[in-house]
Amino acid sequence: MITPRQKWTLNQEAFDKLLLALGGDRDSGSQKYLEIRTNLTRFFEWRGCSFPEDHADETINRMAKKVAEGEEILNHSGYAMGVARLLLLEIIKSRQREQSALNEMENRGEAYVDSDDGESRLTCLRNCLQSLSAENRDLILQYYQGEKSEKIRNRKKLMERLGIPVNTLRMRALRLRERLQGCVEECVGRA
Amino acid sequence: MAIEPNNETLIARYLLGELPEEQQVEIEDRAFQDKDYLASITAVENDLIDEYVRNELSETDRRKFEDRFLASAERRKRVEFAKALTRIVPEYAFKQKTALAPPAVSWRESLEAFFRSLNPVAKFAMAAVILLVLVGGAWLVTETLRLRSQFTTLQAENQSRQNERQALEQQVELQRRRNEELAARLNEEKQQREQSDESLRQLSETRDATSPPARPVVASLTLLPGISRGAGDKPTLALTSDARLVRLQIGVEPEEQYKSFAVDLRTVAGQRIWNRENLTARNRGGARAIGLTLPATVLKPGEYELSLRGVTEGGRSEDVGFYYFNVNKK
Repeated sequence: MITPRQKWTLNQEAFDKLLLALGGDRDSGSQKYLEIRTNLTRFFEWRGCSFPEDHADETINRMAKKVAEGEEILNHSGYAMGVARLLLLEIIKSRQREQSALNEMENRGEAYVDSDDGESRLTCLRNCLQSLSAENRDLILQYYQGEKSEKIRNRKKLMERLGIPVNTLRMRALRLRERLQGCVEECVGRA
Repeated sequence: MAIEPNNETLIARYLLGELPEEQQVEIEDRAFQDKDYLASITAVENDLIDEYVRNELSETDRRKFEDRFLASAERRKRVEFAKALTRIVPEYAFKQKTALAPPAVSWRESLEAFFRSLNPVAKFAMAAVILLVLVGGAWLVTETLRLRSQFTTLQAENQSRQNERQALEQQVELQRRRNEELAARLNEEKQQREQSDESLRQLSETRDATSPPARPVVASLTLLPGISRGAGDKPTLALTSDARLVRLQIGVEPEEQYKSFAVDLRTVAGQRIWNRENLTARNRGGARAIGLTLPATVLKPGEYELSLRGVTEGGRSEDVGFYYFNVNKK
């Protein structure tokens, strides 16, 4: 994880200013803040960073500092992405400085160990599937059924049966999968 | 916005980190402006994760996947979820196939075809039979429900009787234990009294064997509640050199109603020198007091604190009072 270069830290006043700058009022500013943070987290995730949420927060901190200093930002989402890309360069440089590529690979290998809660996860998933409506359960199970070409055929059949375009089907499956994963994580956390 | 298959490939290449920086930036910018495109990336991401857990990725892609996807904890959770989903999906597919196994013609269609094939008389007879079966079935259901209800009531009554019997057994057991406890205490008190009598008898014999007592061998002191440690008028027990026993009468307020009492005798320095449990308060001359007999050798000249505790019916011990007295030797 990269550490901030500046001593500057986000305080309540700066955060309030940032929310106002993002949305004009606190409520819409909060919504915009959440949207930008989610996008930044996705960006750092896509770029293979180990701590995407921490980097997203650091990006927002840097943006908040600029706002607190009085800098006028017209497109906050674009500005945040620009800061995020600079931060990504810092992260890559820092990574290169700190360890060789080989060590990096080894560490990655060590870092990922199959969790031993596989069985409880399966039980949770079965329970979570039961909590879905029969229609939604069929949809998600058929959508992810089969390998490669069989999977594509299944999805086409599903589109025809439900009479919906591919993107609608994709969105439905995506939402159901996210809902199921949330349910499973909560269930595993409780177990 | 619909996503083309070649776009899916492009997104997959992006997610595996195979695209040059400019293209990566293009995809990211588009993703954060177009929610459908963002969803498409997530969908491709999910498919890639599924292919990884099913070992469908090439060795090169697998390495790239591990490098990028297993870096963050959030994505590792998604991989774990995909593993579970991959195991569950075939189970359900099998259930669905089993459920779909029956012939294509439904029972309703078969029944209709059967009725159509009958002549009018046979149709009438069949209708009569069905009516009979329905009426008989309804009667059977009603009768079964009535019997089941009776059975449930009997079960409940039986259970209630069993509970009562268990409660009675518990009461008897409790009473038996209480009796045993009382008998043990009685026995203990009897032994204590015998010991005291024996001590008195021995002392009496000693006295008789030597000379008639000019001074008492049993020193007595009455302690009343409400005397503080610092009070100047603390009672004093004068012990003569030939005193063998000390008899303390500990006054107890009438409202102190306890099953039994316990006594701790300590020196002013806090050293416990004598204790006794299972003592009872007796009415003597209109006042309640507890009698405590102890060897005179226990007491040396000095200041003493006697703490009195009451034991409730439930066996809980509570402080009743503290008594202070001095001991002098003559």
